[in-house]
Amino acid sequence: MNEFGVSGKPNGAQLRLQNLTKAFGPTKAVDEISLDVPTGTFVSLLGPSGSGKTTTLNLIAGFLAPDSGDILLDERSIADVPPHKRNIGMVFQSYSLFPHMTVSENVGFPLRMRTSLSREQSRHRIAEMLELVQLSHLGSRYPRQLSGGQQQRVAMARALVSHPRLLLMDEPLGALDKKLREQMQVEIKRIHRSVGTTVIYVTHDQSEALTMSDVVVVMHQARIAQIGTPRALYEAPANLFVADFLGDSNLLPARIVAVSGDQVQAELANGDIIHAARSTFAGSAGDRAVVLIRPEDMSVRVNREQGDGLNLLAGTVKEISYHGDTFKLDVGVGKQSLKAKVARGEGTGMELGGQVFLTWKFEATRILRPQDEADRSIATAGDAR
Amino acid sequence: MTAAAEPTARTHLRLAVPSAVRLIPALLLLPCLLWISFFFLVPLALMCWRSLASDGFAFETYSVLFTSPLYTKVMITTVKTAAIATVGALVLAYPLAYVLTISGGKVRGLILVFVLIPYWVDIIVRSFSWLILLGDNGLVNKALIGIGVVSAPLQLLYNPFSVLLAMVQILLPLTTVTLFGAMLRIDRTLIAAAKIHGASEWQAFRTVFFPLSLPGVYGAGLLVFVLALGFYVTPALLGSPRETMIAQTIMVEASQLLDWPQASAAGAVLLVITTTIAAIYNRYFSLDRLWGGSDK
Repeated sequence: MNEFGVSGKPNGAQLRLQNLTKAFGPTKAVDEISLDVPTGTFVSLLGPSGSGKTTTLNLIAGFLAPDSGDILLDERSIADVPPHKRNIGMVFQSYSLFPHMTVSENVGFPLRMRTSLSREQSRHRIAEMLELVQLSHLGSRYPRQLSGGQQQRVAMARALVSHPRLLLMDEPLGALDKKLREQMQVEIKRIHRSVGTTVIYVTHDQSEALTMSDVVVVMHQARIAQIGTPRALYEAPANLFVADFLGDSNLLPARIVAVSGDQVQAELANGDIIHAARSTFAGSAGDRAVVLIRPEDMSVRVNREQGDGLNLLAGTVKEISYHGDTFKLDVGVGKQSLKAKVARGEGTGMELGGQVFLTWKFEATRILRPQDEADRSIATAGDAR
Repeated sequence: MTAAAEPTARTHLRLAVPSAVRLIPALLLLPCLLWISFFFLVPLALMCWRSLASDGFAFETYSVLFTSPLYTKVMITTVKTAAIATVGALVLAYPLAYVLTISGGKVRGLILVFVLIPYWVDIIVRSFSWLILLGDNGLVNKALIGIGVVSAPLQLLYNPFSVLLAMVQILLPLTTVTLFGAMLRIDRTLIAAAKIHGASEWQAFRTVFFPLSLPGVYGAGLLVFVLALGFYVTPALLGSPRETMIAQTIMVEASQLLDWPQASAAGAVLLVITTTIAAIYNRYFSLDRLWGGSDK
């Protein structure tokens, strides 16, 4: 469409990674990664450091060449296209603004390199971009005269000025303080909605990934551990790594005792029986498994209240801490310690060493494959996109 | 009560720590300071004093410096030679330093060794080597005659060409290393940023790397220029009297004419010129950046 029109809204590109592999010496940084990104989607690559997310981004940008596999942009292979011909925008972790150019010159850089716009058209486009990032009044400043947040916005404007169909962001908010980071998250989402570009966003901050993304790709040891919407990842993690990596969790070793219909029953080490809804991994009676319960799904009562469809465990309060809106508790159940997070009002009457009862719904329990089998499940999750 | 007690406690703390600590830098500097004072600053002061006070106190030596056609000519030759050698060294060193910057591990180490080996060889030895290479029976002339380009040996020595050639060669390692140090501090992700936003390799160099390397070029230029101003052995060995530079003149005044006040005055002027250049540099680029200090 009107790709270089002054106010034309470009569509996002469709990005496809096919069995992408990159090794540095003997270590594989990216191992057989396949991913489909539909047009206009905001996708986060989330993972601990060394999980391959930045390497994946550098492969898409063209700063690294893949050892094998392919990168398709709108169904066209770009694996052999040099970075400057890929028409991709990128925001770097350190912003990487050109220190010898003013804000306007920085923003205009991609236009000078990529387009043959007239001076007047360029000026118009730069003004439009600066307005989008709300920095219209700072065009003649130099980057060093700006705050971190402002530099961040300039980097956004520069990345978007030539209307790229794909925008790469490499931990762009890493250097900002918490408050500014949250403000910029909202800002980036607003800009994404208004330009419609496909975004690949690398981060190790899970809350950032969960709040901003349409789709999150969790990476672990050079592979994709799970792909899904933020809700799906948090509420239905496919494996132990994702369950552990995202949010707080209670992960209890167990043995499956019965599978019937959509119900699974598992026995904890101390003999307590837990009911769970059937998930991707059901296993069969006798299998080892791990039970996942999120702390915020639990209710804590001083009195025993058995209800239909509720699991119940008795325990003693080992630790209790006040967090303003919530109480966090460590409850000893047998030899285990379970974390629970309850609303402020529910915390009354609980004291250190006192007996309490933990209850939570059957559906809020997930059964996962144990650790030694987790790697294999990650390998298959990557293939089954 | 409390208000009065608190500052006392704080003063106490402030005194307790530094009094011992503050001595350490002074102690560390002391040997070097003593050495410099006795063997550099005192002779320097004596030299300046002698330039003024030979027969009573007079500026005569200085008026000779600025009025005599000989000194004017030597000064012009000195500045001109130093400037051309500096530019030559910069032009040759820049690509070399750039290759060093973009190459990794082994290649970089190998190039650095080849850059630095000549640096460790004495200036006199290197100047003599050029004498051997460029002489009438030298390697260059023999080769040219051998392949039949010329029939008689070319006059390659004792002219501005031989002096400049050797000076550039002698200055090249320092220029390269200084430029390399400056280039290393250019953030490579800026080049990546230029490329992803549409710049080809050459455009990224021209629009981002080169402008950012200019302070390093100016810095290396000034450093090398100051050094070149004081060259003595090379023009003496490889040049004719017409290529005489100020350091040679000072030597002649001091050791042959025994006019120590005049030599001292010339030395003082050279000192003022070089210090001024260093001060200007420090004002605009800050000297410690040359040695890898942080940017302002």
